[in-house]
Amino acid sequence: MITLKINGVTAAVEEGSTILDAAGFLGFPIPTLCHMEGLTPYGACRICIVEIGEGVQAKLVSSCTYPVAEGMKVRTASKRVLRARKMILELLLASCPQSKVIQDLASAHGVRQQRFKQEHEDCILCGLCVRMCKEQMMAGAIGFRSRGEKRSIGTPFDIKSETCRLCGGCIYVCPACQLRCTYTEPDKAICGGCANLPPPCAEKEAFDDMMCYMNPCVACEIEKDAKTANMME
Amino acid sequence: MTRLTSPQELNELRQVLSAGTDSRTPCIVICSGTACQAGGATRLIPAAQKFIIGNQLIDKIALRSTGCHGFCEMGPFVLTEPQMAFYPQLKPEDMPRIIEALLAGEYVEELLYKEPSTGQPYYHLSEIPFFKSQQRSVMGFNQRIDPVRIHDYIALGGYVSFAGLLARNAPQEVVQQVKASGLRGRGGAGFPTGTKWEMLAAQKSVGGKFLVCNADEGDPGAYMDRSMLEGNPHSIIEGMLICAFGTGANEGIAYVRKEYPLAIQNLTAALRQARHLGLLGKDILGTGFDFDIRIMPGAGAFVCGEETALIRSIEGKMGEPRQRPPFPIQKGIDGKPTVINNVETWANIPLVFRHGAEKFASVGTQGNSGTKIFSLVGKVRNTGLVEVPMGTTIKEIVYTIGGGAPDKFRIKAVQTGGPSGGCIPAEQFDLPVDYDSLRQAGAIMGSGGMIVMDETTCMVDVARYFMGFLKDESCGKCFTCRKGTQRMFELLDDIAGGRGTPQHLTLLEELALVVKDTTMCGLGQTAANPVLSTLRYFRHEYERHINDKRCDAFVCNELTGAACQTACPLGTEVWRYVALIEKGRYEEAYRVIREPNPFPSVCARVCGHKCESRCRLGTTGGDPIAIRALKRFVTDNTDPTVYKPVRTRKAEPQSQKVAVVGAGPAGLTAAHYLSLKGYKVTVFETGSEPGGMLVSCIPSYRLPRDILQKEIAALLDENITLKCNTALGRDFTLDDLFARDFKAVFLATGSDKSWPLGIDGEGRAGVYSSMEFLKAFNLRGEELATGHVGVIGGGNSAVDAARIALRQKGVKSVTLYYRRTDQEMPAYIDEVDAAKEEGVALETLVSPVKIRHVEQARKEGVKVEDAVSPVKIYSKHGHLTGIDLVRNGLGDVDASGRRRPVPVEGSEFHAELDTLIIAIGERPDSETLTAMGLEVNKDGTLHVDRETLTASRTGVFAGGDLVSGPAMVVDAIAHGRKAAAIIDRYLRGADMTMPAEIMQPDVFLEPAAAADAAEDEEPVRVPIPMLDAAARKTGFDEVELVLSAESAQTEAGRCLRCDLPFTRRVECEEDKAL
Repeated sequence: MITLKINGVTAAVEEGSTILDAAGFLGFPIPTLCHMEGLTPYGACRICIVEIGEGVQAKLVSSCTYPVAEGMKVRTASKRVLRARKMILELLLASCPQSKVIQDLASAHGVRQQRFKQEHEDCILCGLCVRMCKEQMMAGAIGFRSRGEKRSIGTPFDIKSETCRLCGGCIYVCPACQLRCTYTEPDKAICGGCANLPPPCAEKEAFDDMMCYMNPCVACEIEKDAKTANMME
Repeated sequence: MTRLTSPQELNELRQVLSAGTDSRTPCIVICSGTACQAGGATRLIPAAQKFIIGNQLIDKIALRSTGCHGFCEMGPFVLTEPQMAFYPQLKPEDMPRIIEALLAGEYVEELLYKEPSTGQPYYHLSEIPFFKSQQRSVMGFNQRIDPVRIHDYIALGGYVSFAGLLARNAPQEVVQQVKASGLRGRGGAGFPTGTKWEMLAAQKSVGGKFLVCNADEGDPGAYMDRSMLEGNPHSIIEGMLICAFGTGANEGIAYVRKEYPLAIQNLTAALRQARHLGLLGKDILGTGFDFDIRIMPGAGAFVCGEETALIRSIEGKMGEPRQRPPFPIQKGIDGKPTVINNVETWANIPLVFRHGAEKFASVGTQGNSGTKIFSLVGKVRNTGLVEVPMGTTIKEIVYTIGGGAPDKFRIKAVQTGGPSGGCIPAEQFDLPVDYDSLRQAGAIMGSGGMIVMDETTCMVDVARYFMGFLKDESCGKCFTCRKGTQRMFELLDDIAGGRGTPQHLTLLEELALVVKDTTMCGLGQTAANPVLSTLRYFRHEYERHINDKRCDAFVCNELTGAACQTACPLGTEVWRYVALIEKGRYEEAYRVIREPNPFPSVCARVCGHKCESRCRLGTTGGDPIAIRALKRFVTDNTDPTVYKPVRTRKAEPQSQKVAVVGAGPAGLTAAHYLSLKGYKVTVFETGSEPGGMLVSCIPSYRLPRDILQKEIAALLDENITLKCNTALGRDFTLDDLFARDFKAVFLATGSDKSWPLGIDGEGRAGVYSSMEFLKAFNLRGEELATGHVGVIGGGNSAVDAARIALRQKGVKSVTLYYRRTDQEMPAYIDEVDAAKEEGVALETLVSPVKIRHVEQARKEGVKVEDAVSPVKIYSKHGHLTGIDLVRNGLGDVDASGRRRPVPVEGSEFHAELDTLIIAIGERPDSETLTAMGLEVNKDGTLHVDRETLTASRTGVFAGGDLVSGPAMVVDAIAHGRKAAAIIDRYLRGADMTMPAEIMQPDVFLEPAAAADAAEDEEPVRVPIPMLDAAARKTGFDEVELVLSAESAQTEAGRCLRCDLPFTRRVECEEDKAL
């Protein structure tokens, strides 16, 4: 057993566990996107970063991949962690504004602005689908291609895969709604689930427009207009 | 080759080989590194062979083709042994002469490497500055061995120390020695190699252990690993063998990028030969030790230089890093312990064992032992590979070895460590180059790339370039690295493209810090360095791009527009009038020139032409367009009345009154534009006529007075009242002006007080300040110079004074004394040349030490003492008779990138002089302004807000030399125009800060028809016609003459038309819209 301190609380965990496991054991919440029980830890989304070490040695590491060590001191929500996490969420929002998972996380972390050029990539390359396909479905139909900003997920040479059984596991695990939330174009939609949810503005009084994952639903705008009209009267 | 079966046999082989080589045998060494091959070395070798065989010289002379020697700038080159003569940039037909000379023990003088500044040939390699200051303990072998001949390596003692270890069966010595040597990883991070090996030796492994040679060198501008693999592959093999023996590893892998075909070829040959000799494979040297090395060609992904990505690549997977721990030393290739070292680290290992760890550790500094190879590239005279002891200063590398800046532009920074590294500004060039100092300065050693940057390098563009590289080369696994680099690139691209806002900078900085913090591998963690370090040292460049929309290096395309236009302080559309001249539309050209500049004829004669120094033709290796001469052609041949100034408002009797103090170019310009805006302007001038420095200083042979007077007269309209012989402080004060209902005051009193030398005797008769001397002649016609005249200084006023003196009666000779070299004279170079032609002697690297006045004073019967105070002399009859001067040598490089003049002891000499003119600079006479409560800077210039030109009192504005110190006429005009606009805003109650505008060409002019194909001669810059030197010496006729219409059109036709990409675009968009 290995003893370590997380946010000042001592814990003893089995050797070979990750910091994420240990924090989960103590009940400290660490957000994750590319992590899933049953799939190999990957460490790609960086949202699960925690701070380890002290003084000049202190650094941020991804808790889902970093193995625990004897006497380690972990801070899961230090200023540095939260600052970095907010920036990561801002970057995520800039790439995948329509993901409900990301919207919720950003909202929970108090991210109120997105200062980059808006993109609609609908994929954060977390690799959950790749690992799901390979490790749980034993197919290996999809994988990563190319590097840097050209990196993408797909089948080799974009040819229809023979090993794919259309199980949908990849879609099931996707946090970025790549295949789920193309609600505005129904012919392309797979499940259409998100589109059937009530818009948040319908339930909340003061809703921050920017954070609406239904953008461009404009339901709230209509309601606002109606309210203003009422007030005028 | 027979297989060697014991360490003893290797020693015997070595003895046989060494005995067979005679160091006196003449040998032609041809560098066949990749760079020299590209330069044509492959054609030199057959040429040499043909001559040697054809003349039956095989027994008399040897030929060796080697790997890279480092001086790649000079390739292809030949080195002759034993003379060690260095012949750069050869052609095949030069080979016979060199071979013949070598056999005769002579030199081919004209082909030898020469000192670029003096043309002196160097006869021995070790005298050449590039090689002189290097310590080439690793690279040095490259010139002595043919990489594909293992015998060359063994003859020089190769593999002997490894055989010794085997013979002694002392594996424990290996780690011990490497630790004692203090060698640190040369790949960049600087981890102690011995410690790493110790950990590997301690690892228990059933399946074996791996050694990897990391030759995935991917930094832009770094190529030392390639050169080592190409030039001396055996040193790497020996290094790996030693490590394997010491740590129990049994398999070696050389991970070389596929883009290095010659390295792979030479290494393959070396491995084969080593195997044949029994130095690799099973049962090495009959001792039962097994180790083999194979080559793994990499596909050239930058990230595969990161060790965990490299391991995955070797395993046949996608090259992306993984979490450390576990470290490769615990779990590497296929889960087995693995040591990964850089090529250069491996190449250093045989040295440790050859000379012993102690000797190795004695080189370099504490904690940074040994030498390091750098690839010195960029804006430096000598580019190539440079090997120096750790701890050598950047200054030494860049200036002594690199030879400093190749052009007149100043070196401003060095970028080390490639895309992961950072910049070090010129002010910190005293920094010793070692792992720790560089890290502290915000850069890293990296693999040793060193890119020198000068004023023509834009730091925003540099950051943008590296970020573009990184966004393509990031593996893409970590979200923050992939997106972070892409977003940083976008932000930098916005800033470079003139779309930047202050928010861009904040966001960029925030993002850079997070990317650095949150990524998994070294690539991502250092990816923000190019941004962070340029922001740390060159933030002002970012701000200039964002706030002023200017790129001072003229690199960022969108902000540069046409460089001639952006370089001009007035923003004159140079490209436009040059194009119009080419078409013969001179009147239109005149309007383009006159529009922003009320002194076109003056500028056509005396402008410092910043446009020419930034002309793309000049910065890309050719001669810039003679823009000033073209302007002269237009202004001389066009009636000025073709331009009608636009009056934006009419002056009414109740118009507001503005006072302008000083009728120089700044003051008159301000008055002119204020008048056009409808203000009533009164110009106060101390002198008896308007013109300021234009009349008082600039000699009439450069600027004829009738032309100047005409131009001034045209500006003085009914709204402007000129009051001469009225001085601020003497005749009126600022309070008086405001009391007399002037709503704003523009001060432009110039900068005409000479700096004194600060040595005894300056007050004597015969010693004048340049201003005193020039004014006396230009304004009153007094000829102050007689006999032998000396002028101290190197600026324009020094040269003007020298040339005026030369034209005065009773002057026998004129000598100009300047403390630095003539290359560094701040005066316009053509003026200096013209002065030399007229017979002004030039003594450079000389500074005065003492002024003597013995002879003359004694004749007058005054008793003179040597140590006299200047006050006394001023009031007595002392007259100058001569000065003592001391010669200067070139010392250390100062912050300006120039070498300091240092007096050479014992080199004092005497010059008999009757007149001495001191022209070492001017400052504004700002005492009266201080007295009026205005804030004055230390250098005497008036303190103003740079943006709005407002002085410390409300309603008072200032410009010209009074604010900037001595500057060009065109700068003063620009200030005057800006002041007029700002004063107008002030009086209308508007915001005084002018919004920054991107200056881009916006008028399309058809490009000239392509020249006839028959004309294969490139047209050259038109020589500016001048009066004959003998004729002009005696009089004050204008020296420069005007171009003929034909030559003006030809010259204008040379223009590259940098405006077209911008104006064409407008055209394209319009087409699209239609």
